[in-house]
Amino acid sequence: MKDFEYFAPKTVEEALSLLSQHREEAKMIAGGQSMLVTMRQGLLAPENLIDIKGISALDYINFNEKEGLRIGALTTHRAIEKSPIIQKHYEVLSEMEVNLATIQTRNWGTIGGNLCHGDPAGDPAPVLITLNAMLKVNRVGQERIVAMENFSKDFLEVDLGPDEMLTEIQVPIPKPHTGCAHEKLMQMQGDSGIIGNAVSITLNPTNGVCEEARIVLSNVSSVPFRARKAESRLIGKVLNDDLLAEAGQAASEEPDPNSDMHATAEYRREMVKVFVRRTAKRALERAKRGLIS
Amino acid sequence: MKGEPRDLKLMVNGKFYELKVKPKALLSDVLRNNLKLTGTKRGCLESTCGVCTVILDGKAVRSCSILALQANGHAVTTVEGLADGDKLHPIQEAFINHGAIECGFCIPGRVMMAKALLDENPNPTREEVKLAMHGILCADVGYVKQIEAVEIAAEKMRGGE
Amino acid sequence: MAGKKQTKAKADKAAVILKKEEYSIIGKPFPRVDARAKVTGEAKYAADIEMPDMLWGKVKRSPHAHARILRIDTSKAEKLPGVMAVITGKDFGGFRWGWSRETRDEEPLATKKVRYLYEGVAAVAAIDEDIAEEACELIEVEYEPLPGVFDPFEGMKEGAPLVHEDRPGNICVEYHWNFGDVEKAFAESYLVREDNFQTPRMAKGYIEPPAIVAYWSGGNHLTVQAAKGSPYFPYRILANCFNLPLSNVRIVQPFIGCDFGGTKNDMVNGDFSAVMLAKKTGKPVKIVYTQFDELTVCLRRHPMWVTIKTGVTKDGRLKAIQTKVISDGGAYTRMSPLSNYLTGICMGMPYELPNFKTDIFCVFTNNPSSAAMRGHGIYHTRFAGDVQLDMIAEELGIDPVEIRLKNAIKNPEPGKIYETINKLTLATCGMEECLEKTAEAIDWKEYKKGKRVKGDKAYGMGFAAGGYLSGTKLSGHNACAAMVRICEDGSINLMTGATDVGQGSDSVMVAMAAEVLGIGLGDIDIKRVDTDHTPVDPGTYGSRVTVYAGEATINAAKDAKRQLLEVAAKEFGVKPDEIEIKDKKAFVRANPQMNMPWERLVRMACYTTPGMVIIGKGQSSQGISTYGLADFNKGIGNIGTNYSFTAQAQEVEVDLETGVVKCTDNSVIAHDCGFPLNPPAVDTQVVGGAYHPGVGAALYCEFNMDKGLTLNPNLVDYKLPRAYEAPMTKVIHVITNDPFGPFGAKEASEGSTCTAPPAVINAIHDATGVWIKDLPAKPEKVFWALKEKREKEKK
Repeated sequence: MKDFEYFAPKTVEEALSLLSQHREEAKMIAGGQSMLVTMRQGLLAPENLIDIKGISALDYINFNEKEGLRIGALTTHRAIEKSPIIQKHYEVLSEMEVNLATIQTRNWGTIGGNLCHGDPAGDPAPVLITLNAMLKVNRVGQERIVAMENFSKDFLEVDLGPDEMLTEIQVPIPKPHTGCAHEKLMQMQGDSGIIGNAVSITLNPTNGVCEEARIVLSNVSSVPFRARKAESRLIGKVLNDDLLAEAGQAASEEPDPNSDMHATAEYRREMVKVFVRRTAKRALERAKRGLIS
Repeated sequence: MKGEPRDLKLMVNGKFYELKVKPKALLSDVLRNNLKLTGTKRGCLESTCGVCTVILDGKAVRSCSILALQANGHAVTTVEGLADGDKLHPIQEAFINHGAIECGFCIPGRVMMAKALLDENPNPTREEVKLAMHGILCADVGYVKQIEAVEIAAEKMRGGE
Repeated sequence: MAGKKQTKAKADKAAVILKKEEYSIIGKPFPRVDARAKVTGEAKYAADIEMPDMLWGKVKRSPHAHARILRIDTSKAEKLPGVMAVITGKDFGGFRWGWSRETRDEEPLATKKVRYLYEGVAAVAAIDEDIAEEACELIEVEYEPLPGVFDPFEGMKEGAPLVHEDRPGNICVEYHWNFGDVEKAFAESYLVREDNFQTPRMAKGYIEPPAIVAYWSGGNHLTVQAAKGSPYFPYRILANCFNLPLSNVRIVQPFIGCDFGGTKNDMVNGDFSAVMLAKKTGKPVKIVYTQFDELTVCLRRHPMWVTIKTGVTKDGRLKAIQTKVISDGGAYTRMSPLSNYLTGICMGMPYELPNFKTDIFCVFTNNPSSAAMRGHGIYHTRFAGDVQLDMIAEELGIDPVEIRLKNAIKNPEPGKIYETINKLTLATCGMEECLEKTAEAIDWKEYKKGKRVKGDKAYGMGFAAGGYLSGTKLSGHNACAAMVRICEDGSINLMTGATDVGQGSDSVMVAMAAEVLGIGLGDIDIKRVDTDHTPVDPGTYGSRVTVYAGEATINAAKDAKRQLLEVAAKEFGVKPDEIEIKDKKAFVRANPQMNMPWERLVRMACYTTPGMVIIGKGQSSQGISTYGLADFNKGIGNIGTNYSFTAQAQEVEVDLETGVVKCTDNSVIAHDCGFPLNPPAVDTQVVGGAYHPGVGAALYCEFNMDKGLTLNPNLVDYKLPRAYEAPMTKVIHVITNDPFGPFGAKEASEGSTCTAPPAVINAIHDATGVWIKDLPAKPEKVFWALKEKREKEKK
């Protein structure tokens, strides 16, 4: 690994000030679970490293009945996994975290670090998209909100300027009778999914019609992929197994996945069919229970 | 200045250390090279094998994937800090007596993972033990004895047989 | 019936010396002698070793899979501050080495040509790792890339580029054996099947990468501490390479993180480089391979293409087997001759086989070299054979357990021997009992009646059986020796040449010595191998250590005991053979009132003759090869001292929609290791042997290659078996008390490697009706097979 200039800001202000100073010449490190590997391999050699792991002010999980969930960007995956608040109100987030890599990675890696890495195979992004999450991004003296759905721009590229930092993930209270679920295709526990998906379904309480559906796929495109055609198959209808299967079929036709050593594009499409159907079914069951999750 | 050594204050196995390390030094490097605690192993240096696992502030982490300076002001426990003098920790005893050790290369990381698990969750399910053991690769034991050894240690620590 | 000569068993030398009910230690659980050091972090492995003034070394590697080296310029690297020495292949003066004298085709660092991607061409020693790495980048090498061959079929084609100019057709080794008359037997068979199978290119799977610390002293004394399962190889090879008498070559074993054959029981570029760099700098040099190095340049298990043709009678009795085996040997010979030999030599086990023919081709390619791996050679053809046997059973409508029982070699009566068609001799064979106990343990009678499909998952049970060599016999140095030194206070130093790489041999040797001497485990201290002091032995491979080092240890303990008994005899006024030592007390058998404590007897012995040093010496007599290279080439004669037998039943769960296959906990292995010296240790070896290299091959592990480039040189993309998916396998011990093994023991660790893959594949078939013939059975492969089957059924 090459040497670098090292900064360890203790506050957000300090961090932002350093970013505005060094901009492209600096990289931020939080948990570093992906970053350190690339640095050791010599693929990444920043002149300046801004270590934000010590900014304890960004490590929090807050919830209130009006505004919903606020997660600090430096909250670890493990904290999200184990949080009683999240297990109660946003079960799908905890469910997703259990299958994310291994315990050691989750103990140190952060949700913010994961989202900023911009890996289309990542698990949190699709779930947060189905939950209509928003991200708070700061730079010196400024703050903006960007929808999770719009955050990923390209493979490993996110909407973050060289002087900007992700500080918070905001998840609104889901509408009543909304169910969310996440699942991915793993050969071994904790694998990066060959494909993955998160599904959110909202039902009309009086007639059980599906009012809203969000289906987001991982590892089929350069960014998390929203399968809108599949969603439209569900919206406005009373859902049954056949419709869920139709949605799966539609979803499999939308993206253009890659073939790699782990799977062909064809297999990925077939698996989208299966997983969208399975995950939508679980989301539907949760929606029917009247639980917000 | 790039690469200029910085102050590192670290508690390791209950002892307080003040060192000067380069920013790029990994926690595993500092433990092994500076503090001569070679119990923690280097396996893949790619955040996958887990043999470098130590406990940081009560949580099992991969020491090869943490810059030493990120542990500044924190407490680390390595395998050398598990026994109480000559008295082995119940986890260590369980691993020995249950035949869960073969070449031993994954054992330091594995027993630290087990400790982190049992300190947080004294009565884990089989599933939880498997998930914990899943974080460290072994090449020889087949995992069965190790999973059982953790369960045996858990029972002993809860006051059982 | 061919293959069934019954002859008298040769007299046992190392065999059972007491009735087993009388054993104090052997046969009961005992903890490993080195467990405490490992679990406290005290145990030092090669990468943990640090010495004053130590330098770090790094190997510079070729970016081409096949190229001529035109020019190397090390001047920039030499000038980098912190660099203490730079070497190239030329520094080794044309030295070549190989696994045997006839196959010396490899250089410490390539000089004229590189033959696989990342082959070492130069090396640097510097004051730290980073500078060494930087210096490597400053070494300028000019190459002339050459066209290469990347699979054996390409390699065998007319006009293909040659990996070694003097090896036409890129043939590394070939065997053609013919026993009986397969053509006649096929003609007479009720059913003849021919099927193709493929095994994957695999990493050894150990987590500790190769590492070495080398230093010179006193002019021409070399010391090496390295992760070596067979210290003998570096001992001889380095002596040759550096022109040293063996007396000046000291190989000291640290703790070793597994071996599994090939790489750690052999040499790598880093080994030679560390030694040469240490010579040039006059300082200790350490080279530690990274996991990337391990997964790109270190030795792999051969990928093999097996065509197997089998003829059976109407009721499923084997009449003939014919195999064609093609394997990818990679760039250098290494131990490919043995790996490929083993694919055929044990085909006459575990089933009675009257006719066998095989043609085996190992081909050079510009891939990293292939070599031994746990389950060496036998696993490839046992996989093919045992899956095909299930195919045959299905066609004939015979139960898979039944067909195996029908064909299983029966356990010879005491004093008799079973001989296979190619003259392997078995004094014991617990195959039948293993099969019966396995089937009973999973309640096969009930299971097979049950439903396979439950929702979108299917469940199935697969069986497999196999035999594995124990105490491998090869030409060349096989002998094994041990020394037992009794200290004045009654404590013991035990020295053998056997290397404990984690399999527990140190503990077993201590237990055997303690059992023979009648003392406790805690009274014996076993020294780690140090060629300055311990007897030198070929090393840990071929499941030889328990058998050979065990025999040597027992003989050494007996020798020391004899010396003590002579002293006791004088004291008691009886003959030495009238005295026994047990529980640290020597007593006259017929009159136990005449006794004395162990410590007193030792003291007496040490002081009766001034300066008497009690050293017991022992050696193994079994290891001497009974045949030479000619027989090796013909495939005749005992490759092992005795043979273990294994039966396995493994259930799988198949997700019918995705193809993901998981092993369930409904998993049993019955293993005949003759006599389990330490039952829990046998369990671990059997379970580990089945899971890591066995289930690993069946479901997870495979290198993906592209023209010599490894596409998955990391542990995320190359999947090693992990804990969450591990079946909680139960092990059943089948005891046959082999007369040729110490205390009746046979190997316990590679047999299950050969049964796991066919058991899993047969289970997938039982669950779903599909046959996966090329490993690993990854989800996508299974998915398409299931889809194809569904489509066929629609028609």
